[in-house]
Amino acid sequence: METRSFADYLRGLNDESLAALFALRPDLISPVPSDMSSLAIRTNSAPSLARAVDGLNEWQFQVLEACIAINEPMTEKEIIEVTDSSAKFVIPHLMSLALLYTSRDGIRIPQTLRDVLGTEPAGLGPVSMAKLSMKKLEEAPAAAKKILEQLTWGPPRGSVGDIRNPGPGIAWLLKENFLVPLDQRCVVLPRNVAIHLRGGKIHKNPQPNPPILNGKAVKQNVVDRAAIANIATVLRWCEEILNFWSEEPPSALRAGGLGVRDLKSAAEHLGVDENCAAFVSELVYLRGLVVIDADDRVLPTHAFDLWLTQSAEARWRGIASLWLATSRVSGLVGRAESKHISALGPELDRVNAASTRRLVLELLSASREISPDVVSFSALVKWRAPSRRSPGLQPDLVKWTLRESEWLGITGQGAISKYGLAFYKGEEAIGVDLDLPKSINHILIQSDNTAIAPGRLEIELARTLDSIADIESRGGATVYRFSETSLRRGLDHGKTGEEIREFLRKTSKTPIPQPLDYLISDVSKRHGRIRVGNTSAYIRCEDQNILTQILNDKRMETLPLRRIAPEVLVCDMDARDIIALLRTAGYLPAAESTTGVLLLGPRLNRAKSKPRPPRVIGELEAPSDETLAAALRSIRVGEKSSSKQSALREIAANALGAIPRTTANETLDLLNKFIAEACTLSIGYADNNGSATHRIVDPLSISAGSLIARDHATGEVQSFRIPRITGVAPL
Amino acid sequence: MTDGPLIVQSDKTLLLDIDHPLSTECRRAIAPFAELERSPEHIHTYRLTSLGLWNARAAGHDAEQVIDTLLKYSRYAVPHSILVDIAETMSRYGRLRLEANPIHGLVLITTDTAVLEEVIRAKKIAPLLGNRIDPETIAVHPSQRGAIKQALLRLGWPAEDFAGYVDGQHHEIELVQNGWSVRPYQSLAAEGFWHGGSGVVVLPCGAGKTIVGAVAMAHAKATTLILVTNTIAARQWREELLLRTTLNEDEIGEYSGSKKEIRAVTIATYQVMTKKKNGVYAHLDLFDTHDWGLIIYDEVHLLPAPIFRFTADIQSRRRLGLTATLVREDGLEGEVFSLIGPKRYDVPWKEIEAQGYIAPAECVEVRVTLTDAERMTYATAEPENRYRLCATTATKRKIVEALTQIHAEDQVLVIGQYIDQLDELSEVLGVPLIKGDTPIKERERLFKLFRSGEIKCLVVSKVANFSIDLPEATIAIQVSGAFGSRQEEAQRLGRILRPKSDGRTARFYSLVSRDTIDQDFAQNRQRFLAEQGYSYRIIDADDVAQGKL
Repeated sequence: METRSFADYLRGLNDESLAALFALRPDLISPVPSDMSSLAIRTNSAPSLARAVDGLNEWQFQVLEACIAINEPMTEKEIIEVTDSSAKFVIPHLMSLALLYTSRDGIRIPQTLRDVLGTEPAGLGPVSMAKLSMKKLEEAPAAAKKILEQLTWGPPRGSVGDIRNPGPGIAWLLKENFLVPLDQRCVVLPRNVAIHLRGGKIHKNPQPNPPILNGKAVKQNVVDRAAIANIATVLRWCEEILNFWSEEPPSALRAGGLGVRDLKSAAEHLGVDENCAAFVSELVYLRGLVVIDADDRVLPTHAFDLWLTQSAEARWRGIASLWLATSRVSGLVGRAESKHISALGPELDRVNAASTRRLVLELLSASREISPDVVSFSALVKWRAPSRRSPGLQPDLVKWTLRESEWLGITGQGAISKYGLAFYKGEEAIGVDLDLPKSINHILIQSDNTAIAPGRLEIELARTLDSIADIESRGGATVYRFSETSLRRGLDHGKTGEEIREFLRKTSKTPIPQPLDYLISDVSKRHGRIRVGNTSAYIRCEDQNILTQILNDKRMETLPLRRIAPEVLVCDMDARDIIALLRTAGYLPAAESTTGVLLLGPRLNRAKSKPRPPRVIGELEAPSDETLAAALRSIRVGEKSSSKQSALREIAANALGAIPRTTANETLDLLNKFIAEACTLSIGYADNNGSATHRIVDPLSISAGSLIARDHATGEVQSFRIPRITGVAPL
Repeated sequence: MTDGPLIVQSDKTLLLDIDHPLSTECRRAIAPFAELERSPEHIHTYRLTSLGLWNARAAGHDAEQVIDTLLKYSRYAVPHSILVDIAETMSRYGRLRLEANPIHGLVLITTDTAVLEEVIRAKKIAPLLGNRIDPETIAVHPSQRGAIKQALLRLGWPAEDFAGYVDGQHHEIELVQNGWSVRPYQSLAAEGFWHGGSGVVVLPCGAGKTIVGAVAMAHAKATTLILVTNTIAARQWREELLLRTTLNEDEIGEYSGSKKEIRAVTIATYQVMTKKKNGVYAHLDLFDTHDWGLIIYDEVHLLPAPIFRFTADIQSRRRLGLTATLVREDGLEGEVFSLIGPKRYDVPWKEIEAQGYIAPAECVEVRVTLTDAERMTYATAEPENRYRLCATTATKRKIVEALTQIHAEDQVLVIGQYIDQLDELSEVLGVPLIKGDTPIKERERLFKLFRSGEIKCLVVSKVANFSIDLPEATIAIQVSGAFGSRQEEAQRLGRILRPKSDGRTARFYSLVSRDTIDQDFAQNRQRFLAEQGYSYRIIDADDVAQGKL
């Protein structure tokens, strides 16, 4: 009937109200219910209600709790009576959420909501049906008053030693029905008594208003400047960590994720702490710029190369929106209490992370030009989203979100920046590109062999410069240093000295200093003068004509020969095959060893593997007297023990017929007794599947809920969990 | 976003664009807290160090001023972490103070007991401390004033030293400015030193560091001990002081191998100070025998280790270090700063040159190609002999001959490392040689002849690396050096930097054998000068032979 009337209420709603309901509780229409009654069932289902309740702020929740605490049906006046006059602004909201509804006789509550909020809303016990005279409370003895004081604001239950023999205070309260016994050891304060004692209100501290946010005032232009610096920095961090990993790819842990040492070295490379390094690693991981490869190496992906070509704003928006949406919490990495959690690892997801971040941004954008302090901000977040399901992490999440917003440049010096605001509002243009310094396309080369790019270099230039110079200092500008090694690297990458010079001449605003010019010539002159390669065989001959003849010989065309010196040909084939070919073609080659010694004499074919002769199986030798004696002794002992075992088992089976059965208390008594007597026992012991097995044991002691005993079957000392012992009998 | 001249890097270096109109103003603003690292032609590099920031605190600048300066001149937004770091670092200064207590003597006082508790538990510090007087105060052994300052600095809790300096015995010293005057940068340097109490002044060679010393003495008006590298330098100091101050001959004593005079102003050589007699430093007492009001360390980059140790014990005396090149190949720059005092004044060489106080100089690297025979010898030589081989090749000798002929009209110094090479050169060129075993008298005679122009060319060994004042020398030819020593190269250039009467450009030739280790060392040697903005021009030895320069 209850449900039906709720369904009737829903049926009675106009389209506008229904649309409002769906907007507030989008889970109701995914998927779209078939009719009103199934909508009613869904609206009244525990998961959906719990979700709706999670969205309430502290005051809305308190009002809802109060509604549950008083009797249905109720009136607005009654609700206001037990809460505060400002509840009347809350009730319509709760109505539009369908957490309250009106029926013919007044305001009602969807039935399942009671289960969702628990049996003791606001720490109130069940309603007492007994007739109570509240006046009598004032006459309560001191001991009783003390007890009432403890129970008034919940929890309403209290334990007593033994209900049959209560102390004087409790006895009085029980007699007057101000306390109700729940079971042998537990009493409860009835709801009506508690509400009376609470002065007719439900909550001790009703919080109709959000806590006030404390913080430092900062100017918006200062905020924006700091924020743009942060944005530039975070983009640089992402780029640098990936470049760093591309040079020295770390190996992922077996459990997945980045090891502590690798995180530390990344942090050192970026010049930040490990929390920040974990944050940056997670950002690039979320964006798909890095991947844990099949061989467990952490490597940048091709997406990184594409990413670099994007505008700064697109890059920033990409990482910031993923950060806002993800359930992964990088702040968890490296905490003392969760050492096993690693960046890029599998255990970073947390339920409220995304909603907390969104809420933090909402609150930040509501208080512009204020850099809030963490304590008051956390209190405000707590009021806004009391987060009853996982309360432990919320303060940390808030702290981390504030910290990460600063790193991302959503805030600058703690207050929300115009970029953060535009991003939060989902505006088309954030303005990052406008305010970030323009990319530059020139460098300044100085005579101490350094080049300075006084701003962010265009990506192509930066890449080329990276390959021919070492980076000495990073930041708004980049300082490069040319050295022999760095130039050699450029030459190794296939550039010529002339190309390097041309590139520098084109890129540098200042002329190339002569020493650098010389350095480039010197290095390129020396580069590649020595050549190294792999080959498997060579043909050498002091008579160059013969080699020319071989090269031009039609019959030798199958050989991939290359002349590397007038007297030397090389070939990527086995020396023996070449010799055979040459012989058939009528030449007279001789083989040489690696040291150049001529290999003469008949060629003997020999296997390369170690000798592995088969095992010799012969007759047994006659055993010595000692061996015989030892064998005999061991057989005897074994025999004795097994015959004793079977005898014991037989006795046990005869004596009891079946596995012994005793009650829990008896078991313990018997065990204690037999331990003292040191007597062999037959016990029944339940295994993991619940089926009892029969064991014969010598009990030794009882410790931590287990019987320590020697099992005759294995001869080892074992522990048996007492609750699993189904019975004990002496043998 | 302003369009300032300064770029603040995330590794705490500051890049100053000196072509920017605000660069001079900015340089002055950041000089108190940032250390000049390099000053090539376009962008100067400064660095923010803890030491620099603490010195700025000591000089009365606070974190807010520093941050404001950075924000004001910065071209791009300054990374937040750097601002936080600056504030944090600067706030560490001054939580500990060294004070002279009338009852307990030298004491360490704190405003933050937690910090005191932390430092007194440090292993290196505990032995330097005496009794705990109250929760905020602890006694320090007076002799350990230097040691405790050093140790606290390493812990990151620098102590502000309020214990003051002893005045020393009063002695009237005035400057006599007739026909010359103290240059602006010299008086700035002396002022900087005097207000800081103790410290190091860095000025290029030939920029008149002696005058800075004289100005400091005139400030102190007290007996002064001057430590110099060698006897020649001691005599030069003496002559300068006689010329520039009211001091007369009897007031200046020389304490060297040959003479042991102790006067109101005593000039001692490092050599005699570190001479051991029966295993002990017999002459270190000189520091204590007299109530010196000022101790000057000339060429402080050469300060020998025993003097380091002793300097730690005389922290209550004012100390002035003078140098052109504070690069120690042993990496002890930090020690110099903590024992003598922080850098009080530093200026790019090129700036002094622009003001005309040192001669403009041109550095030329002459690339010498070895003959095939020489190359073969080089290729097969033991690695430890290679440098000597390629630095002293016969081919270099021919180039030196050619160069001296081209510069026959100029005053030329030929400088080298290896005595046999120099002997040979001196013989071939027919000019005198000054080396370690040349008697002081003979050296002085030759230098005098050179100054007067009677000798046009001198071959000198490394004895002439420092402190030798040869105003008219315009050409230096370096044939070999002490491997990759950066400061030697700079000091040798310094020999020809005295401004010339006709404003001529000095020229420094460095002869380098192509494709050998000589070339690698040369590159390292040139780094200091290149960072000071001296650009090397490279020419080929064949061009020299043909007279093309």
